[in-house]
Amino acid sequence: MQPRSELVPRIQQPPIAVRGLRKTYPGGVEAVKGIDFEVAAGEVFGLLGPNGAGKSTTIGMLTTTIVPTGGRAFVAGYDVATEPLAARSVSSVVFQDSVVDRALSGRRNLDIHARLWAVDAGRARRRIAELANTLGLGDLLERPVASYSGGERRRLEIGRALVSEPQVLFLDEPTVGLDPRIRHELLDVIARLRDRNEITILLTTHYLDEAERLCDRIAIIHAGRIVALDTPRALLSMLGQEIVELRVDGDAATALALLRARGIAGEDAFTVGSTLTVPLHDRAAAHAMAAIHESDLAPSSISSRQPTLDDVYLQLTGARLAEAA
Amino acid sequence: MSAISPEAVLPRQRVTKNPLAPLATLAVRRFQLSTRTPRELVVPLLTPIMFALVIAPALKQALHTGSGYEAFVATGTVGLLIPLNTMFAGLGVIVDRESGAQRELLAAPIPRALLVLGNLAVASAITALQIAVLIAVGIARGIHFDASGTGIVWFVAGATLFTVGMYGAAETLASRVPKAEEYIARVPAIAIVPWFLAGSLFPISALPGFLSWFAKFLPLTHGLALVRYGLLGDSTGLHNIWKLHDTTAMASLSLLVVAVFAAALTMISIRVFSRSAVR
Repeated sequence: MQPRSELVPRIQQPPIAVRGLRKTYPGGVEAVKGIDFEVAAGEVFGLLGPNGAGKSTTIGMLTTTIVPTGGRAFVAGYDVATEPLAARSVSSVVFQDSVVDRALSGRRNLDIHARLWAVDAGRARRRIAELANTLGLGDLLERPVASYSGGERRRLEIGRALVSEPQVLFLDEPTVGLDPRIRHELLDVIARLRDRNEITILLTTHYLDEAERLCDRIAIIHAGRIVALDTPRALLSMLGQEIVELRVDGDAATALALLRARGIAGEDAFTVGSTLTVPLHDRAAAHAMAAIHESDLAPSSISSRQPTLDDVYLQLTGARLAEAA
Repeated sequence: MSAISPEAVLPRQRVTKNPLAPLATLAVRRFQLSTRTPRELVVPLLTPIMFALVIAPALKQALHTGSGYEAFVATGTVGLLIPLNTMFAGLGVIVDRESGAQRELLAAPIPRALLVLGNLAVASAITALQIAVLIAVGIARGIHFDASGTGIVWFVAGATLFTVGMYGAAETLASRVPKAEEYIARVPAIAIVPWFLAGSLFPISALPGFLSWFAKFLPLTHGLALVRYGLLGDSTGLHNIWKLHDTTAMASLSLLVVAVFAAALTMISIRVFSRSAVR
């Protein structure tokens, strides 16, 4: 393969570009329904959504293990459909489940990755030593992976993905199924990667805190469609500085209509079951709560708090992310 | 969002200097996984060695046959060892998919056919080692082989191509069957039933009319005829299939059959694996 950089004019390409990407599985299940996004160099981009939203299918298409049924996707400028080897050569992936040779040692797992990604042997040795140090794998490398804990295995998988110094790293739900301590350890590892700014990361998750902590931008994906895409701060600002949440005994929709009629709730207020959520853009929570008490509503509970991404997700999709996941 | 221009600069890809390097990496990996305990090398040998060392002499004694029958059965057990060993090797594909690193390998910048070929190389090497052990044990037990230089070439060619074909069958089945349990349930039909029909314990001419005719279509029948022709100088198996006078022509025809079997099953296995590995 001839490096194409020698053949073409110099115009920088986004590390990930997705254009109208679709996937319909045999049987007619539409997992991804025409999504568009672009990830800038050095950015950590999150795909946030519940199980079945289309996140893993999107990563599968970008890593060429799932064949798109429509649209196009580019990894570091390489079309995943027509130049899959090139797209794979500049990227690595950490899968949702553990994908390792358990009978082999950690070092051998890293070495196989280095060889398949054509990393020079000397460079691979140095890189493995450096990663072992960074990820705290030093004492583990000679042991069979079967003897690793879940967290150790996940660190090894992250290390393996980094051996080839990929330009694009795909992390598919990297902390799912891990206990809270190991999960936070791994979030630290990913945060350190993010801070080094040498790599573009596409991360899928259904954990809001993960997305909020790690991602520069987040695409909220629901039923195969991107329903919002922005920075965590901008997404949160959709719901103002604070929200008031109240529970009513009667029909929540009628209660919401009443609050709107009184000018207490705006068009972005929403209901889920018997709970009303009222974003506050230009008034204090105390004033809003006082106004609610003065109305004919008799809420069984009422409180105010800062909005979370879960509220954003709830408003956009009508379902709580934690419940949907 | 900026449009992607086909003229745009693309990052430099790493280029493997030796195109066989990924194949070697995959083969070494598979070898390490397949031979991590001696048990995995020894267990497939037990049945054929028992046939060669225990059952063949017992049959010889019970049926009052000559020492030639021992050699006949010893070479016939090659026809059991190859399918058993390759089918067990195919289990590795399912283990890779279920709990191993198959998805990591699928995300590697290498043609996916190499994953099949790497497995094939190891299955072939281990099978060759086991056949060598079987023959050595047979010789130690006093079984007489009568192989010339040319005969060894026929034997090696026939056994190698048959091994390649059988591994193709194993890899194809492993790619299509979702669970190891289902795979194992199908092993006897593929690895053992043809062995009884292919002239392993008795010539195919001893089979009832239809089965005798059917046996000529089994690649194993041709493989075993070549093995016996190569190791024992016995062309009876070839004659039972082709009924020609020219032994070399019959051996060439049988080799062609086994070669077509090997090529077809290898191509099918690569195609089936590549299709089943991506969704």
